[in-house]
Amino acid sequence: VIGERLRWLRTRLSRLLRRGKAEAELDAELAFHLDHLVAEHRARGLSERDALLEARRELGDVSSYREEVRDTWRPPELAELWRALRFAARSLARSPGFTALAVAALALGIGANTMMFSAFRTLVLKPLPYPEGERLDRIDRSTAQNPEGRLSPADYLDLVAQGGPYASLTAYALGDVSLAEPGQPPEMVRAMRVTPSFFGTLGVTPELGRDLAPDEDVPGRHRVVLLSRRCWQNRFGGRPDIVGRTVRVDGEPHDVVGVLPSSFNDWRHLGVFDVFRPLPRDAALAADRQSAVLRVIGRRAPGVSPEEAAGFVAHLGARLATDHPDVHAGTTWRRVSLSATVQGQSGPVMLGMCIGLSGFVLLIACSNLANLLLARTVSRSREIALRAALGASRGQLLRPLVAESLLVALAGGACALLVALWGADYLALRSTGDNGEQVVLDFDWPVFGWALGASLVTAVAFGLAPALYSVRLDPHETLKSGARMTGDRSHRRFRHALIVGQFALALILLAGAGSFIRGLDELNHRRAGWDSGALVNAGLVLPAAKYPDAGRIDAFHRLALGRLGALPGVASVSLSSFTPFFNWPDVRRYRVEGQPRPETGREPAAAMNVVTPAYFDTAGTRVVSGRPFDARDTAEAPAVLVINQAMARGLFGDADPLGQRLAALDGGSSGEIVGVAADVKSIVPDPGPVAYQIYRPMAQEPRARAELLVRAAPGVPPSGLVEAIRGAMTELDPDLPLRRLQPAEATLARANYQSGVLRDILIAFAALGLGLASLGVYGVIARTMAQRAGEFAIRYALGARVRDVTRIVLASGIRLALLGAALGLAGGAGLMRLLAYGNPGMRLERPLVLAGAALLLVVVALLACWLPARRAARIQPMDALRAE
Amino acid sequence: MGEMDKVRNELLQGTLDLLILRTLSGATLHGWDIAKRIAVVSKDRLSLKQGSLYPALHRLEERGWVEADWGVSDAGRSAKFYRLTRAGRRQLETEKAHWLSFVSAMASVLDMEESS
Repeated sequence: VIGERLRWLRTRLSRLLRRGKAEAELDAELAFHLDHLVAEHRARGLSERDALLEARRELGDVSSYREEVRDTWRPPELAELWRALRFAARSLARSPGFTALAVAALALGIGANTMMFSAFRTLVLKPLPYPEGERLDRIDRSTAQNPEGRLSPADYLDLVAQGGPYASLTAYALGDVSLAEPGQPPEMVRAMRVTPSFFGTLGVTPELGRDLAPDEDVPGRHRVVLLSRRCWQNRFGGRPDIVGRTVRVDGEPHDVVGVLPSSFNDWRHLGVFDVFRPLPRDAALAADRQSAVLRVIGRRAPGVSPEEAAGFVAHLGARLATDHPDVHAGTTWRRVSLSATVQGQSGPVMLGMCIGLSGFVLLIACSNLANLLLARTVSRSREIALRAALGASRGQLLRPLVAESLLVALAGGACALLVALWGADYLALRSTGDNGEQVVLDFDWPVFGWALGASLVTAVAFGLAPALYSVRLDPHETLKSGARMTGDRSHRRFRHALIVGQFALALILLAGAGSFIRGLDELNHRRAGWDSGALVNAGLVLPAAKYPDAGRIDAFHRLALGRLGALPGVASVSLSSFTPFFNWPDVRRYRVEGQPRPETGREPAAAMNVVTPAYFDTAGTRVVSGRPFDARDTAEAPAVLVINQAMARGLFGDADPLGQRLAALDGGSSGEIVGVAADVKSIVPDPGPVAYQIYRPMAQEPRARAELLVRAAPGVPPSGLVEAIRGAMTELDPDLPLRRLQPAEATLARANYQSGVLRDILIAFAALGLGLASLGVYGVIARTMAQRAGEFAIRYALGARVRDVTRIVLASGIRLALLGAALGLAGGAGLMRLLAYGNPGMRLERPLVLAGAALLLVVVALLACWLPARRAARIQPMDALRAE
Repeated sequence: MGEMDKVRNELLQGTLDLLILRTLSGATLHGWDIAKRIAVVSKDRLSLKQGSLYPALHRLEERGWVEADWGVSDAGRSAKFYRLTRAGRRQLETEKAHWLSFVSAMASVLDMEESS
């Protein structure tokens, strides 16, 4: 295909060159001929001047010959089209206002649409960078709370032992690590531990070095690491001797054995990870059925259908549920195709919705264009009628009109690409993560093709209608009717239908944007149970090599809390397994000691947060009864728990929960309830929220992985504490990086960025739709006013007041807006429902917002009609009538 | 030479091509010579805007019926010389046959009109 394209290009180019040459040759030949003619006439006795005149006459019109030669090198239809386009360009240049408006409207409409198509293509249509990726499955252990649950190591080993339809299986666990080199500050990088089969299963071959060897998960041989290409480039300057070097990962020396290809840095799947280490496989790990930490991916054997694999997985899950009811009761296993996991459950629906909405914007832009063209055609109908009367064929009449809309559409399409590119830049900027990863949209031939196609469809569909209308006019009638060109009744009805449609679409866009803004706002203000204003937060992971046991972790925690608490400007400091702003995915099951045991699988579940004593003060979570944790809750002291109000009410009703004991099904976190804390709501939309929350002292369950919260003293800006905190921590342990050390408000701003992007898109669409629709109604009303100037003059002459005429003008616009709004209400309600489906956890069906959007629409329409109405009010009856 | 003897200024469409092909069938000529020859052979009865010869020549060249090279004219100036290609020769035969059959058909119709 490429060869063919090249050949075609070569022919075109040589023709282009030959064309210039042909014209030069023609000029030389004509000059030669002219000289001979002159010489001949001179020989017949004519004067120099007469001879030249005579010769020129005989030679004929040289410029027409040139034109003819030019056409020789072009196919005739093309030559015709070229002429029509040139003519159209000249005529468009004569009305720059119309042209700019039309091109801008199309550029915005097509641009929005093209960007959405590009997003859809990148996310839904483009395969993941793994060969034969359609054979890759992710295997989940689903529960009601978490349909995308992970597997435990023992589960995974059972799956591998069965194998079944899977030719190859792999598991990985996420865990950020500190990467340090002598002489460089430590850095927190996104990392995972993988089974040695990981890259083989995905079909990824390292660009440098080698894959993991099958025995590198044996403890002792596991200190090897593969790096992403990005990490190799950014952190190691792309040095060629990287393979074989030793780097410090979590303070332990590891050998770099390979570098992954750049295609692996695909933001849609695992592209944000930089460091890959083997998952060491020891007896304790192999026996662990409790910790669901492993993501499992399998490559189906060739020829095995997804249904077959699903059957196998479900069957295995059912068997494990029978064998290990304590852990697996109430769970089902399922397979999901890997490509579906990157889109999210509602991803394609949301993207499809955005394409549809951008289509609405485009439709509004197009119907505006149609209205503009129609108005233009109507004002030219005399010229057209004249040409028709002089015998121009229908095709000849249509050609310049179609050429004009084609030109406008192509110019609009070209500008649309700029709009789309700008949109993609914005998205990349908006999505830039801590690791420099970005959402990058593809702009390739299909996307350009989409923009071109949209332009052409627009040109034909919305340029042809007005054109056809004008050639249908009866030339006799048109010429006779003189200067009053209001267009006939059907024509006006068509224009009004376009306006009504625009308003209906604009209302849908407004309703969608409005409900999403409100929903997201509500989410962002769902800050019950904590106060982030004066907080700084950071992630902390103590490497197992240096902090191998609970005692050492606890000791470091005490040291760090003491040191940070003594910093000037710090009010309080705490460590916790999670921050209060986001979900706590550590869900554990409990039963109340002394109450009848509930059915297996139906025990109450609570989200666990393991915290140091000052947590409640630092986070701003109120303890409503009993006491918070304090210094006496050490590892040796009796196990204690704090539960939230919802759990207290749910388990004990009105009875006092203090002093009651909870037994955890995993055994480890049982204890006595010593306090009740306020309910905490996270700002993350959670599909299956766990209402029960439970706290445990960090001293009784020391965590290597913890979130640091620092509350600034009143009057101290939290951002001012960041450097002091970093300095103090580096003094304590130079190998220990802090992840995302920043004011909590910055963390929160980043959290819902995807919803934020969707909100921005919806706002942009609504603003475009509303703007274009009001422009449309303004144009139509203004034109009608201009055409009805005579009528108004007569009304004034007959005694009508300014108020009466203003009312007529406003009423004609408002009628259209109201009709459009009424039609749009159903669509708006539908869009809200669609948004609610795509964003579970957000309240998006809002009748009030819908009503508000309709009101806004009518007000804007009123404003758009107000300007032409004022002009109608200023009509001087005598002038207007005299101009008739 | 009265006006009546002169064939109309605008030649019938396609006839100019035929005239050029026929003129080139015997010799390699530049534009001026072609024009002269047509004038001489037609005894000046076929008048044409002489410049229109050149777009026609370019058209024939594009179709591959004639080919051209730059050379030096008798007067010592550089000029573009045209000659017939093999395809051009075939085209000449076809067109000539068409034309003759057209002429004879026209003639017989016109004769019939006159005799009736």
